[in-house]
Amino acid sequence: MSLSGLLQFVGRSLQRLELRLAQAAGFDSFGPALAVNGPQILPQSHHSSDEENSEPSFLDSIFWMAAPKKRRTIEVNRCRRRHPDKLIKVQYNIEPCPECGNMKLKHTLCGFCYEKVRKETAMIRKQISIIEGGPLNAPAVESVVLYENETPSEADKDKRIVERNRKRPYWFNM
Amino acid sequence: MAASVVTWAGLTAIGRVCGHIRSRVLGCSSTLSQVSCLHTSTELNSKHWERKNLIVYPPQQKDEPRRSAEIYHCRRQIKYSKDKMWYLAKLIRGMTIDQALTQLEFNDKKGATIIKEVLLEAQDMAVRNHNVEYKSNLYIAESFSAKGKYLKRIRYHGRGMFGIMDKVHCHYFVRLIEGVPPKVEQKTGFDQAKEYVEQLRNRTIIHSL
Repeated sequence: MSLSGLLQFVGRSLQRLELRLAQAAGFDSFGPALAVNGPQILPQSHHSSDEENSEPSFLDSIFWMAAPKKRRTIEVNRCRRRHPDKLIKVQYNIEPCPECGNMKLKHTLCGFCYEKVRKETAMIRKQISIIEGGPLNAPAVESVVLYENETPSEADKDKRIVERNRKRPYWFNM
Repeated sequence: MAASVVTWAGLTAIGRVCGHIRSRVLGCSSTLSQVSCLHTSTELNSKHWERKNLIVYPPQQKDEPRRSAEIYHCRRQIKYSKDKMWYLAKLIRGMTIDQALTQLEFNDKKGATIIKEVLLEAQDMAVRNHNVEYKSNLYIAESFSAKGKYLKRIRYHGRGMFGIMDKVHCHYFVRLIEGVPPKVEQKTGFDQAKEYVEQLRNRTIIHSL
């Protein structure tokens, strides 16, 4: 091998190395490598950072939010709204109440029967409040409800008697 | 959707445009009213569904099949959404009136009580005015909901933005027919697909040999 050839090879390899280093550093232009006092190399990043820091307007933040791309057609909307899962299902757990004949749910008390018991209970409670007169006057004995033409029996000796001015309802058996 | 976000400038523009349109329409109608009225309305307050109860058929011949009694009833401007009401209307389509009343009684929606009232009113009307013998012998032929007149209110958002909120109302219509409800054939998906393929096969190509 000749000395000049070796020197040329070394020189070229050094140039290539320099070019690769320069490219890695970010200098893609093949112009003068002299350091010149000119404009900054990457001016955009400073401008954008200033803008974001000074005025974060909410109109910019919309760009990163999810939005529908296309209007949902009425056909697509109908498929979703009328899907069998969304339709109301027919209930098969309704049966007639054996007492009054109104309909009731299988696992629930009959609404009509409950309502009539509730009304009578309210009247009894009103009577009790008349007897007591005020709050915190409940006696320390049991109460028994007596309707018209009823006398207290042996078991009702020590109990407080609440009287109601009507005949005994057919469903209230002692 | 019932609400839409609008800026103040946009709304004033919309208002101005609406004013223009209204003035133009009024101008057009005043010129047209002198020429002719294409449709004649009998009374200002009567609406189509209520008028359907007033039609009187001529007496039937002896050989004609007996015409079943039809009762049309509706309720207007219900404070409920038409889309939500539609689900209840769809539930009771084709049921007997008793079955419909029980289903609505045990449904938790607000529209269920309203539709139940309408059905009971219609049943009462049927027995009193429309010569229906048995009040249970009715079935629901048609039942649907429609949009009523909406009131508009302002819904305040942040940053001085506002949306226009619609206070929704709906109408509910029902038609009862005397008799046993007709049985609807339950079509399977396979049958529907078969019908579709047959339809495609029956198409003819025009201008062909």
